[in-house]
Amino acid sequence: MTAVTGLRISRGLLGAAGIAAGLYGGWLLWANPLEVIIRIAVWAGVGVIVHDFVFAPLCAVIGVAGRRVIRGRWWTPVSVAGLFTVVLLLLAVPVYTRPGANPTNPTVVDRNYPLGLTIALAIVWACVPVAYLVGRLLPVREDQVVEQESAEHVDGQPPAL
Amino acid sequence: MKRPDVKPSPLRGTPVTARVGMALGIAIVVCFATGLISHFIQHPQPWFYWPTRPVWLYRVTQGLHVISGIAAIPLLVVKLWSVWPKLFERPIFGGLVRQLERASILVLVASMLFQLSTGLLNTAQWYPFGFFFTTSHYAMAYVAFGAVLVHVAVKLPVIRRALGEPLDDVAAVGPVGPSRRTVLWGTGAAVGLATVVTAGQTIPWLRKASVLAPRSGEGPQGVPINRSAAQARVLRTARAPDYRLTVTNGDVTRAFSVDDLMAMPQTSHELPIACVEGWSVSARWTGIVLADLLASVGGSPNSDVRMISLEPPGPYSRTTLPARHARDSQTLIALKLNGEVLDVDHGYPCRLIAPSRPGVLQTKWLARIEVVPS
Repeated sequence: MTAVTGLRISRGLLGAAGIAAGLYGGWLLWANPLEVIIRIAVWAGVGVIVHDFVFAPLCAVIGVAGRRVIRGRWWTPVSVAGLFTVVLLLLAVPVYTRPGANPTNPTVVDRNYPLGLTIALAIVWACVPVAYLVGRLLPVREDQVVEQESAEHVDGQPPAL
Repeated sequence: MKRPDVKPSPLRGTPVTARVGMALGIAIVVCFATGLISHFIQHPQPWFYWPTRPVWLYRVTQGLHVISGIAAIPLLVVKLWSVWPKLFERPIFGGLVRQLERASILVLVASMLFQLSTGLLNTAQWYPFGFFFTTSHYAMAYVAFGAVLVHVAVKLPVIRRALGEPLDDVAAVGPVGPSRRTVLWGTGAAVGLATVVTAGQTIPWLRKASVLAPRSGEGPQGVPINRSAAQARVLRTARAPDYRLTVTNGDVTRAFSVDDLMAMPQTSHELPIACVEGWSVSARWTGIVLADLLASVGGSPNSDVRMISLEPPGPYSRTTLPARHARDSQTLIALKLNGEVLDVDHGYPCRLIAPSRPGVLQTKWLARIEVVPS
């Protein structure tokens, strides 16, 4: 068996298993009343719209604008801190205002989330100048220089003796 | 018209997509498998075997379910970031094949966002979506997993090529600023961060750092509660002086008052309580070995046992304990928790606590225990 047929067979098997699993899931969903199916579809659809046309463009705009303002070596730690901020904000959504709180059960969403989120964000952004300084002070390794060079990059020859 | 001179970041693209996608794929497989385990424990099938040892097994699988699901959030964010410009690639509609591909990706993204969002909200017991969480999350899991498999099948040659090539296509990335390697390191660190700020609800030494965990791990007698006595509407019946625990096996029936139960031989075990919503704590439970109680009515060790709560009929007011767990020497009808008489929110007068079972099946406020005829 050649590698090409092997690849073709694994693709076929994966695809068939995937379609079977998807159809089974669809069949399970179909057992719901129409009203519930619509709510499920709306929740899933709104998720895509919010991501593709609100969240992603917003991130792109902030990224492009940030890139213009923040120059040089600052950009790497700032953009990583930006990713961390997004992740913390997403995880804070279901707990920040404690919407699932229940007066008879004080053990659900029982932390001080505004304080926790503030501290986490403060630590993340405090790491930015540290990462910047570490990046400046650490010697740049030779392989990093080479990795960052393009194929057309040719240094001058060493002086002839 | 000249298009604006903003090029998509050279960091986006298949080298990053394939690698982040692979990590996301691993998280999805772990999440799907552990989710199925939890489902089949709660909806037993003849072919499904779930052991009683180690006692912490369910704690680990369900902890992993929520941890891998949360880890998938930063991975999905970066994965979608890396491919987002493709959404606007021409032609927008194209031929049939292109439309099919776009439709399959729509199903993939929609079902993944559905699973991660509903799962995350469920950990915080917030249900703004107007459909029943467990059944929809279970059904959509097959759609999401199936869509992932189809996606991998379609992209396999691209993935293989991308993984075979060096990560940093040098020409694309300038001399300063993040490299693709940085994107991957940053993504890995974001996964670590997401885990640290939430996983303390199941990993005790992370508790202090888990500032966004829906549970601090605290509660009456050192154990959180999922459903309070007030929510279950058992406050009055649980404290009624004429309370009796009825144990039946066919025609044989025995009734025990709280004092009767206290007078029986007591056994203590360190057992975790692990909730389907992802929190877990270990605690010391004291009470009567269930097998002894069943023997007092002549129950067979090969029979399943039905646990019926004082709670008015509802999805969790009665559960069936498989024979394997019912005859286990560590399965208790607990009267005490961490040395104190059970708090009413923990199931006073008595509750079931069995090794390696979801918390939702550890029936509280027991009214009746029935040996199921085998």
